[in-house]
Amino acid sequence: MKWNARRLLAGIVLAAWAALFWFVLLSGRTGLYLSTRTAWLIPAGAGILTFATLGRLASSRSSDPPPVRRSDLRGGALLVMPVIVLLALPTSTLGTFALGRRPVFGPTAPSGGISSGTLSMVDVARAQATKEDLAALQRRAGETVVMQGFVAFQPGEQSGEFLLSRFIITCCVADATETQVRVVDVPAGSAQANAWVQVTGRIYPFGSQVIIDAMSVKPIPRPADPYLTG
Amino acid sequence: MAEDLTRTSHGGGRASGPVGTAAFVIIGVLLLVLGSALRFGQPERIAWLQNFFVVFGAILLEAIPFVLIGAVASAIIEVFVPPGAFEKIGRLPTVLQLPCAAAAGMAFPICECGSVPVARRLLRRGLAPGAAVTFMLAAPILNPVVIASTVVAYHGRPDFWVIVLGRFALGFVVAVAVGWVTGAQRPDEILRKGTVDPDADDHTPEESRRSRFAGHIAGDFIFMGRFLVVGVAVAAAVQTLIPQTVVSKVAGLPILSILVMMILAFVLSLCSESDAFVAASFTQFGPAAQLAFLVTGPMIDIKLSALYAGTYSKGFLRATLITASVIILAGTLWVAVIWG
Repeated sequence: MKWNARRLLAGIVLAAWAALFWFVLLSGRTGLYLSTRTAWLIPAGAGILTFATLGRLASSRSSDPPPVRRSDLRGGALLVMPVIVLLALPTSTLGTFALGRRPVFGPTAPSGGISSGTLSMVDVARAQATKEDLAALQRRAGETVVMQGFVAFQPGEQSGEFLLSRFIITCCVADATETQVRVVDVPAGSAQANAWVQVTGRIYPFGSQVIIDAMSVKPIPRPADPYLTG
Repeated sequence: MAEDLTRTSHGGGRASGPVGTAAFVIIGVLLLVLGSALRFGQPERIAWLQNFFVVFGAILLEAIPFVLIGAVASAIIEVFVPPGAFEKIGRLPTVLQLPCAAAAGMAFPICECGSVPVARRLLRRGLAPGAAVTFMLAAPILNPVVIASTVVAYHGRPDFWVIVLGRFALGFVVAVAVGWVTGAQRPDEILRKGTVDPDADDHTPEESRRSRFAGHIAGDFIFMGRFLVVGVAVAAAVQTLIPQTVVSKVAGLPILSILVMMILAFVLSLCSESDAFVAASFTQFGPAAQLAFLVTGPMIDIKLSALYAGTYSKGFLRATLITASVIILAGTLWVAVIWG
């Protein structure tokens, strides 16, 4: 029995992917890619990949092993490349570039959850999508809310205003839809494009647009879960 | 039994000689340079590049576990299901075989990335080609998780029943029709040359089941993974460079809106378990166009085309694309005529 180089190469490729999944899981980066609904895929992937790696490496000796071919190496390199890319790149999220390029959060059934409790950006998105939720939000006009998101400016935006923006995902970032709320009476210099902020203010729905009259705009670090789950 | 990287050497039927240590070193250095360039070159400062990498990473991290789950199912079929088990099913009349295969897809809660390795394995284990193809196309659209996500996304909408029942019924019809069209071919005609080459396997009969099981999982992952990476890269590039909002301009045009939504489903390459929420967000489109989006995506999209191209012959890919597109277009036009 000799070492089978092809099986070893397969084991290395699997190990690289297992390392990526464990890295995403242990570094808390799941929320940068997947929604809370699909977050289970990362530990599941890490487990299966680890099992497959160990299984492949444990059976890497065979009689009369064939040599590694150029196409084996090319295929292995192609598969390892995304691992290198995702491990090497600093963490990033969808930002102002993606705004306006993605659909706005679409209407689903009325949530029924807007009538009471803390209001969130998802509630705002739902209110902009269904009449029932908009009516529920209108009944709460003038209430003080605290919302987090990143800052976006429309061309020709008046000073003292910006759009507090969030992406809502169902499974992963590829299905992201956007939601925005206009923040007015913003203290000068407190909002930079693409920066994450926490806005405290009074909420007022006007037609299909929702406005927050800001009492304070505070810069915050990007949350661990930058995307909301719709 | 063609497994592991051994299969890749036969993938395109091209000659590929053995490599020496120098090739490993060169590849290793190139990957190191790539990693360093990405780490220290700050590509994330370029907005579209940052967007591309975020979408690329997200689709891959979501799709890979499903490919792995499919690979595990495929390995179970290969190692634990007795030879000839599927040949019995293949002896059933086609009129029973294809609907049964589509119905079997309902019990397989996995998205499209996982169904391809399973169908490939079923083909190689003797299941009739038409039934394997029907199963592959039906599973990602008829399974309970996808039906549930469609129900949630459209709950309370006036077009709820049109979308939910339409997706199920049209998905069923398309899967059976493509299975029927491609079913006349032999497995070695449907599968791409190299994926059925028995010499490509380096497993020996005396190896333990455990060893063969691990080998098959590794083999399917590596075989499918290469095509998935390419398909996901193209899908992420399209998502980054083409704003989804441009399609809204044709929303009011009956046939064009359906065609545009089919093309959108093809290029976005969304998971079938989440696409209903995206379809529901295209409110300017009628139920027929949204239905076209929901039936097209799980059967034919960019990442799937890459997987199909790696697994099946060109003729199969062409027949699947044409048959599925024509039936989806015809079916959704009927929906447009009846429900607007």
